Amino acid sequence: MRTLTRGAYAVAGSSLELNTGDWRLQRPVHLHQAAPCHGVCPAGEDPQAWIARIAQGDLRAAWETLVSANPLPAITGRVCHHPCESACNRGQFDQPIAIHSLERFLGDRALAEGWNYPIVEPDHDSAEVAVVGGGPAGLSCAYHLMRRGLRVRLFEAQSAAGGILRSALPPYRLPRAVLDREVERVLAAGVSFVPNHRLGRDLSLEELRKDFAAVFLAPGTGLARSWDVDGVVPDDLRNGLDLLMEWTSVGSLPSFRRVAIVGGGNTAIDLARVLKAAGVAEVHVITFQALPGPGVSSREAMSATAREIAQAIEEGVIIHDRRGVRRLIIRSERVIGLEMVHMKELERAGGRHEAVAFEGTESILEIDQVVPAIGQRVNPQGMEALLAHREFFESDWWGRIASHPGIFVGGDATGRCGTVSGAVGDGRRAAQVIEAFLRGTATAEGQTSQLIKFEQLNLNYFDHARRADAPILPVERRDAATEIEGGLTSAQVFDESHRCFSCGECMACDNCWTLCPDNSVLKVKDHCLDASDYVFDYDHCKGCGLCAHECPAGFIAMVDEP
Amino acid sequence: MREAIEGSAAIAKAVAMCRPQVVSAYPITPQTHIVEGLARLIADGDLRAELVSVESEFSAASVVLGAAAAGSRAYTATCSQGLLLMTEVLYNIGGLRIPVVLTCANRAIGAPVTAWNDQQDSMAMRDTGWIQLYCADNQEAVDTTIQAFRIAQNAELPVMVCVDGYVLTHTLEPIDLPSQEQVDQFVPPYRFSRALDPRNPISIGNLVTPEYYTEARHAHHRVLIRARDEIISADRDWAAICGRAWGGLLTVDGPAEARVAILTIGSVMGTLLDARQARPELGPVKLIKLRSMRPFPVSELIQACEGLSDLIVLERALSPGGGGIIGAEVRSALFDLPSKPRIHSFAAGLGGRDMPLEIYARLLERIAQPEPAQFAIFDLELDRLPLQER
Amino acid sequence: MAIEQTHDVNELRRRQPAFRGLDAGHLACQGCGQALAARLVTEATGPDIVIANATGCLEVFTTAWPRTSWRVPWIHSVFANAPAVASGIEAALKMQGRSTKVVAMGGDGGTFDIGLQALSAMLERNHNVLYVCFDNEAYMNTGVQRSSSTPHAAMTTTSPPGRERMGKRHLRKDLLSIIAAHHIPYAATASVAYPSDLRKKVRRGLAIDGAAFVLVHSPCPLGWGHGGELSIEVARLAVQTGIFPLVELERGSVASAMALRQVRPVADYLKLQGRFRHLFDGSPAAAEELEHLQALANHNIELYRLRADTPGARDSEGADTVRRGGLRWA
Repeated sequence: MRTLTRGAYAVAGSSLELNTGDWRLQRPVHLHQAAPCHGVCPAGEDPQAWIARIAQGDLRAAWETLVSANPLPAITGRVCHHPCESACNRGQFDQPIAIHSLERFLGDRALAEGWNYPIVEPDHDSAEVAVVGGGPAGLSCAYHLMRRGLRVRLFEAQSAAGGILRSALPPYRLPRAVLDREVERVLAAGVSFVPNHRLGRDLSLEELRKDFAAVFLAPGTGLARSWDVDGVVPDDLRNGLDLLMEWTSVGSLPSFRRVAIVGGGNTAIDLARVLKAAGVAEVHVITFQALPGPGVSSREAMSATAREIAQAIEEGVIIHDRRGVRRLIIRSERVIGLEMVHMKELERAGGRHEAVAFEGTESILEIDQVVPAIGQRVNPQGMEALLAHREFFESDWWGRIASHPGIFVGGDATGRCGTVSGAVGDGRRAAQVIEAFLRGTATAEGQTSQLIKFEQLNLNYFDHARRADAPILPVERRDAATEIEGGLTSAQVFDESHRCFSCGECMACDNCWTLCPDNSVLKVKDHCLDASDYVFDYDHCKGCGLCAHECPAGFIAMVDEP
Repeated sequence: MREAIEGSAAIAKAVAMCRPQVVSAYPITPQTHIVEGLARLIADGDLRAELVSVESEFSAASVVLGAAAAGSRAYTATCSQGLLLMTEVLYNIGGLRIPVVLTCANRAIGAPVTAWNDQQDSMAMRDTGWIQLYCADNQEAVDTTIQAFRIAQNAELPVMVCVDGYVLTHTLEPIDLPSQEQVDQFVPPYRFSRALDPRNPISIGNLVTPEYYTEARHAHHRVLIRARDEIISADRDWAAICGRAWGGLLTVDGPAEARVAILTIGSVMGTLLDARQARPELGPVKLIKLRSMRPFPVSELIQACEGLSDLIVLERALSPGGGGIIGAEVRSALFDLPSKPRIHSFAAGLGGRDMPLEIYARLLERIAQPEPAQFAIFDLELDRLPLQER
Repeated sequence: MAIEQTHDVNELRRRQPAFRGLDAGHLACQGCGQALAARLVTEATGPDIVIANATGCLEVFTTAWPRTSWRVPWIHSVFANAPAVASGIEAALKMQGRSTKVVAMGGDGGTFDIGLQALSAMLERNHNVLYVCFDNEAYMNTGVQRSSSTPHAAMTTTSPPGRERMGKRHLRKDLLSIIAAHHIPYAATASVAYPSDLRKKVRRGLAIDGAAFVLVHSPCPLGWGHGGELSIEVARLAVQTGIFPLVELERGSVASAMALRQVRPVADYLKLQGRFRHLFDGSPAAAEELEHLQALANHNIELYRLRADTPGARDSEGADTVRRGGLRWA
C-alpha cells in the first residue's frame, strides 16, 4: 500500500509507472511502402533505398544497394528511359529527383574506385545454369544466379558480351569503355564465359537442357521485322538496326542526302542522330506514334526515350509524328519520295488497337532513301520448336515457359518491353524462379510492398529546391562519338539526394520524436540514420496518430489494436 | 535592549532579526507600518532581503509561498480585507505545509466598511490549517513573532501571529528588544525539507484523489494538534534566553479559589487585568488568556476550568447566524465533562468599539442572572437600531 | 498489454539526446498540443529551472498524485497566482545567489483572465521570470468554457451557437498588446506547429535578465473538435492564415515576425474544427461570421506586416523543413 508523502509531493519520473498505452485504439507502426520509383523501375531497383544511402553519406553502400537489383548502373544510368523520374512524387511538388543522373554517378564512381559486387563466387559443387546471350538480360540473369549461389556458363554468339549494348548503341549514348568495364565486372564475378558460340550453329538447345540444371535464353531480337508498302520495297533497302549496328562496329554509313526513317523507337532516333551527325542534309523520322508531351498517353507516345527525341530535334532531325507511309515513289528502281498520310492508333472492339489512316491528308516527302526501323523479332535459329513461328517467346512475367519447364527467357526476346532496364529486370526475376525451380520450392509471388500514395506524404516539411542538372553539350559541339550528357558532381549528388522525399520509408528526420506529445518515440542513437533507430514506447503511446500524420515520408501507419 | 517603540516598528525589528530573505508587502491599515518598517530596514542595509511590493494581498501570500518553497525564509503582514483576499492561498500554504510567518494586525471586516480593530479576520481563517497565536501586548507580539519563525520551520506549518490592529500596532510602549545574537541562538537557519531544487526535482501541489485526500487532511489535522509541543517548547526555550515566558498555549491568572473565570484573547486581557486590579471587591476571578487558537488547547482549557462555576467567554468576533466562535469551541471542549461551569458566551468590541474597564464589572453582574448567556453581543446599544432590527 | 519490444525503453529514455523535462505517463488527451508545447519548452530551458504552474489542464494531467511527469522542480498553488508564486521563487533564488531560472506556466484562462493581475505585476516588477502561456483558447480543464482568449464566433459550452447566437460574441482579447504595454525586454508568440521557432523563443526569453513572456498556441483536440492527429496541422494553419501571427516584441515594439509565404484562407483552418462547424451551415449569419474572421486575419497580416515578398528559410513554409539526420535549426 502506497503511503502519502508530506503535502502529497511526487518525485520526478514517477509518471512512467502509469501504462497510458492502455488507452490506445490504434497503434503506430513503421510500414514500409514502395516508392513510385521502385514500383515503376523495370529492373526492380529501389531508388529510394539507394538514394537514402547517398544522403547518409555512404556512396559505396548506395551502389551496393543499387546493384542488389541492377548490376549495370553505369550503363542504365546513361541509356535508361527513367520512368522512375516520371513517377517521382517530387515531380508533383517541384521537379522530380534526378535519379537517372544519380545512378550514372554511382555507376561511374564504382568503376573509378574499382568496387566489386558484394557477392561471393558460387561453390564448385552448386548447380550450373546455362545462359544464352550476353546482352543485358543474359548478364543480369547470370549475375543474379551467382548472387543466389548458382554457377553460370554464359554463351555468347559474338566475341564479346554486351549484346545490343555493344552492337547498336552509339558511343554518344554509351561510351565503349564504360560498356566494357561493366560487362567485365559481371564476368569477373565468376561467370564461365563462352564467346563465339551461337545456338543452332555451335550448340543445341537439347544439349544445354541435358548438360545444365536449367537454361535461360536471352538471344535478343536478331531479325528485322519485314517491311513493305503495299508489297513494294526498294532494291537497296537497308534495315535501320542493321545500319546502326554497322555504323557502331565499323563506323561507315551509306551516303544519303535525304533519308526518311520509319519507326518511333530508340533505333529510329539513334540512327537519325547518327546520320545527322555524319552530315546527311535531311533526316526525317516518320512514325504513327505521337511525340511525347502533356496530354499524350504512354500508349500513343513514341517508344524512344523522350530525352533522346528532344535532343534529336535539337540536332535537326525532323520528326513527322502521327504519320504513316502510304506510298513509295520509285523511279528506275530508286526511291525518290514517299507519300505520308495522317495516322492514329485507334481502339477497336475487343480492346485491340489498329493504326488507321485518314484519307485526304496525304502529302509528299522528297527523299532518296527510306529506312525502316519498325522493330525486330527473335531469330529462331536453334530454337525453332520453342518459338513455333512466333515473333517472340511466350512466357510469363517471371520468364517461365509453361510448356517447357526448365527453360526460361528474358529480354527483348519476350516481346514485352524492349528496354535495357526491362531486360535487367527479366534476368533478375528469371534467376529467382530458376532457383525456386532447382530447389523445388514455390516462388514468392508479389513480394513488393504496397505502393505509397502521394497523399500519404506530408509536404509541409519540404521546401522547394532546384533539381540538379547534368551538363549537356550544346548542339554545335556534339558529334556521334562523344557523350552528350555529362555527369553530376558529388556536391550536386549529395544535395540532390536530400531532395528525395524518401516516400514510404523513414528518412530519419526526427519529426516523430520531436512531435510526440507523450514522449513515446525514442531514439536509439543521437543522430539517426534509418527506421531502426526509432522505437515506439508502446507502454505509453496513446495512439493519437500525430506521428503518422506528420511523418513527411508517410512511413508510419496507424493500425487497429488487436 | 529596552526602548519606547511603536508596536509595528517593534514587530518589524523582530522580523528582521529572524533574517527573512523575502518579504512581500501590500499596504492595508493598520499593518502597513510593519512592512514600511521592514522596507526602511532593507533600504538601510540592516536587513538583507528582497522586498517584493506586490499588487494585492493575494499575491503577497503567493510570493511568500513561492519563496518559502524555494528555500528562503519568507514573511508578510496583512489583515481584514487583505487577509480574506488571501484565503485561497492561505489554505494552499496550510495544506502544502509550507513554513511561512504572517502577522495579522486584526481588523474588522466589511460590510459594513470598517477600518477598526476586532478579530473577525483571523477567526474567519481558523480553518486554513495555520497555527494561530494571539498576543496580548507588544512585548508578547515581539517574542511570539520570533518564536513563530522557529515553530513554523520545526513543525513545517505556517504561523499566523495576531495582534490587535491600532490597539497594539499603533501604540508606543517600552519594549525589550532582544539582541541579534539571542535571536540567532534561538531561530535556526531556514531549511525546508521539500525545497524546489533542480538537484532533487519534486512536484509540489499535486492533485489528490478521494483515495488519499482524507489521509492528507488527517495528517494535517494531527500535525497541527501536535504543534502544541513546538509552541510550548519554543516559549520555554525563548524564555530561557530572554527571560520572558508567555504561557505556551494558554495562561491562567488568578486565585486558585476563584469559581468564576473570564476567558479572552488578545489585548482585551490587558483591560481585564487592570479592571480586576481596580475592583477587588467583586471577588476572585480567574482571567484565562487564550494564546493559541489553533491548535485549540483543549486539555489546558479543561484543566483551567476545573472547579469553575461560571466561565465567561469574551471574544472580538462572531459567526452570524451561529453565535460565538470561541464560545462554541469552548462549549464543545467542555461538553463531555461530568461537571462543567456555566458558559456565558459574549462578543464585544466589534469594529473597534472601545472596551472600557467597566466591562469587567458588568460581565460579573451579568452572570448573576439565572440563565447562562447562550450568546450575546455584550456592548450592544439597542437604541441605535430601529425597533424591528433589535 | 505487453508488446514485444526490441529495446529496453526505460533504459533508452535515460539516454535520449535532448533534455525532456516532461516525460511520458501523463494523462493528457491523445494529441494534446499543450503537452507537446510544455515538453518543447523544457527542451529549450534545460533542467536548471523551477516551474510555477497555474491550475489547468497541464497541472492536472501531469501531477495526479502519486505521480508526476515533470523532471524539474515544480509547484502548483492556485489558479490565479502562478506569476506571484514565480515572483516569490525568483526573489528567494536571487537571495540565495543561485542562477536557476524560474519559469511560470499557465493556460489562457490563468493568464488572460484570472491571473492577469498577478502577471501584470510580475512584469511591472521585472522579475527574472519567463512566463509561458499555453493558449488553447478556452477553459479546457473544466470542460471547454469560453475565456477571453476564445476566438470570436467559436463554440464553447458557455458560448454555444443557437438561434440567437453564433458562438462567442466578443472578440479575442489582444493580450499581446497588453503585454507590450509593459515594455518588458522580450515577449513572443509561438506555436507547437513550429517547434524550432518555439524553442528559439523560449531560449531567448530565458536568456533575458528580467521578465519575458511567450504565448504558445496549443490546439486542444477535444475542445476544438478535431482528431488528435491533426493538432499540428491545425496549429500550422492558424499561423498560415494570419489568425495567429508569430512575432517577437522587444520592449513592446514588434522586432520580428514570421513571414507568411503563402497566405491560406481562414476557412481552411476553421473547417477542420468542430467548434466552428456552425459557420459552415450556409446561412447568411454564418457567412458573415466567416467574413469577419477573415477580416480579422487580414487585419493581423497588415498590422504585423506578415506577407512575404520572397521565399525565406524561416517563413511559414520554410521554418520547419526537415532533413535526414534530424538536425533542426533550433
